[in-house]
Amino acid sequence: MLTETVEEMAAGLFRDVTIPTIHIGMATCGLAAGARSILELVEKELQKRGLEARIVPTGCIGMCHNEPLVDITMPGKYRVSYRNVKALIIPQIFDAHFVKGDFAKKYAVCQIPVGGHTPYEGLPLMHETNFFKGQVKIVSSRCGLIDPSSIEDYIATNGYKALRKMLTSMTPEMVIEEMTKSGIRGRGGGGFPTGLKWKLTRQSPGDEKYVVCNADEGDPGAFMDRSILEGDPHSVLEGMLAAAYSIGNSKKGYIYCRAEYPLAIKRLRKAIDDAKERNFLGDNILGTDFSFDITIKEGAGAYVCGEETALLASLMGERGMPWPKPPFPAQKGVWGKPTVINNVETLGNVGHILLGGGDWYASYGSEKTKGTKTFALTGSIKNSGLIEVPAGTPLRSIVFDIGGGMLEKKIPFKAAQLGGPSGGCIPTSGLDTPVDFENVVAAGAIMGSGGIVIMDEASCIVDTAKFFLKFTQDESCGECTPCRVGSKIMLDILTRITEGQGQEGDLDELIRLSMYVKSNSLCGLGAAAPNPVLSTIRYFREEFEAHIRDKHCPGTVCANLIKYVVIEEDCTTCGLCEPVCPTGSVTWDKGEVAHINLETCIRCKACVDACKFRAII
Amino acid sequence: MANTEHGVSIEINEEEIDQICEEFGNREGAVVQILQTIQEKYGYVPAEVLERVGEDLGIPHSKMFGVLTFYSQFYQEPRGKFILKVCVGTACHVRGAGLLVDKIKENLHIEAGENTEDMLFTLEPVACLGSCALAPMAMVNGNTYGKLSADKMVELINQFQEEGSGSDEEPVPAS
Repeated sequence: MLTETVEEMAAGLFRDVTIPTIHIGMATCGLAAGARSILELVEKELQKRGLEARIVPTGCIGMCHNEPLVDITMPGKYRVSYRNVKALIIPQIFDAHFVKGDFAKKYAVCQIPVGGHTPYEGLPLMHETNFFKGQVKIVSSRCGLIDPSSIEDYIATNGYKALRKMLTSMTPEMVIEEMTKSGIRGRGGGGFPTGLKWKLTRQSPGDEKYVVCNADEGDPGAFMDRSILEGDPHSVLEGMLAAAYSIGNSKKGYIYCRAEYPLAIKRLRKAIDDAKERNFLGDNILGTDFSFDITIKEGAGAYVCGEETALLASLMGERGMPWPKPPFPAQKGVWGKPTVINNVETLGNVGHILLGGGDWYASYGSEKTKGTKTFALTGSIKNSGLIEVPAGTPLRSIVFDIGGGMLEKKIPFKAAQLGGPSGGCIPTSGLDTPVDFENVVAAGAIMGSGGIVIMDEASCIVDTAKFFLKFTQDESCGECTPCRVGSKIMLDILTRITEGQGQEGDLDELIRLSMYVKSNSLCGLGAAAPNPVLSTIRYFREEFEAHIRDKHCPGTVCANLIKYVVIEEDCTTCGLCEPVCPTGSVTWDKGEVAHINLETCIRCKACVDACKFRAII
Repeated sequence: MANTEHGVSIEINEEEIDQICEEFGNREGAVVQILQTIQEKYGYVPAEVLERVGEDLGIPHSKMFGVLTFYSQFYQEPRGKFILKVCVGTACHVRGAGLLVDKIKENLHIEAGENTEDMLFTLEPVACLGSCALAPMAMVNGNTYGKLSADKMVELINQFQEEGSGSDEEPVPAS
């Protein structure tokens, strides 16, 4: 599947190209890794050698750990991906391609098949690499492959084909039917069947309806929607068009995007302008009676606005406070009118579903969660990045096959945190959990919007629970007491525990409060806020107890509970630890084992980081 | 009118504010965008401006204030030339974002949300900037910096200090 889509799409991209093409990953992750200066260096190198080539900025192909990424496609050849490109290796890559007619073996990751072109020998194909082997790319298939600011690239890769098909040969009911058949459920974490949502909104009486795209991706550790918006913005517009067409009487849509994503907003603006110019948006789209326009609304920094009713309130210029449901947005949404709200990833899938058919999409995934799901894989893992896998893929294969295992070989896996502040931790014993809506919930977490943060034995579970609770507590809008006050008391208890002031009975109290906050909060934010605490107590009770009873932090994270010591057998007496100590608490003489004075030590961890032999714990 | 609070003097043109409101059709639904436009212009939302917008749109000041204070990206005070947005999201937290924040506090003698005296820097820890693979990371005036360490952070600060004292040019935004 991966090869077919990519190969076919890539064929479209290079159809009339006769000169070499250089793609540079310029999504936020690429830019943060220095892609801008790489682009300048590539331009200079071309100029210096008097060569002609197209330089094309592209989105995120998912291998964030390999950024900056540079791809070179010579006419008639497959596209070669280079990783961690630095100034020094650019001339070597150029020599290989432009002088020797080969590729630079040392720095290449893989080659991406291009339909009608020929492969290089001795370089794995994209789908043969461990990172891509288990992946199925549908919604992210264009990300990293095309120039996201070029509508031509989108069209060359089957873009707006679904819109054409829909407007020329499908009734709104047929669109809904296809969506229902696909079995796709809300990818923002809610998991509500999309086809049914559209159907209900269609049935809602009203001569004015709205389509809203929820691009307020706020979970820390999640960037799936950012990657799609930055890498393939038109697919989201096409999804919104289909939603508008199928619910009927909808002329206007909004994209509510968080302001922390400036590049995504920029790409969306350009996409909307270009789509209008080509009459994919605007009045009488492609000569039909169907008219639809899209406006971008920037968020102003409030996590709760990812909750759909809070988002609608914010969209209408109010404080972003949620309202109790019913009424559901399908009945009363923007300006009191029936409204469909879908997440970025859900909408990005629509074009593919309408083209490939609902049955095709439903052929992927597990029994109750159809299709694929994107995940942002981060934390202490070797290959961190954006991945897309069939729903139901076991957590183990996500972490150890695609993710390549732990970042530091010596420190073993401890837990995977799924679903961000509303989710929970899954320990080693749960590694075989199939990742879909139902199974992850049974394991004590949620699939959520798709953030997976891997933690190793050097991390502290209590600190993680505290981290998430602090996050939700900060972001609680304050409307209902259970969330506002309950989460505060829970946070106070957790803070005490991490500071060595834990008491017997704290855990029971935390569980009691959790249940209360869960069942009495007004919206999803409060109802899910205790999840990180409950799941960690469920699986890591001993670690909590170590903090409370023994005043000991096994992960050596909680500063007040750490007593750093030098392990004599492991110390090579190199002395690296001595100069880094800001308080002069580390003493060392040539040839002697270092010593740490705990009285003056401020637990800054500088010596631990400086020690290359892990002799300080 | 001239606004001199917080020791910074900026000229506020009431007509300009009316114009901004009008551009958005004086609609109550556009409050957030109007305030965003104003903040882009002044760097923050001065108290008199908030009042004026309320008058223009016919919204009580209490409600205007409610909206302004609800969102973390609206500021009631001027901010530094370089906004150090340090990501403290999950992945960055796990990879030591706290150390970066501490280093900035120590070097610039400011707490989270504060400006340096010379108005060059503002420290703003933020939740997840969405580049977790390059954790810990920070965003300064739209530019992203990945795989940071406490030392690299100090280097960056020094670099900005030079830039900031050298000229009044805006730093080049990302892309």
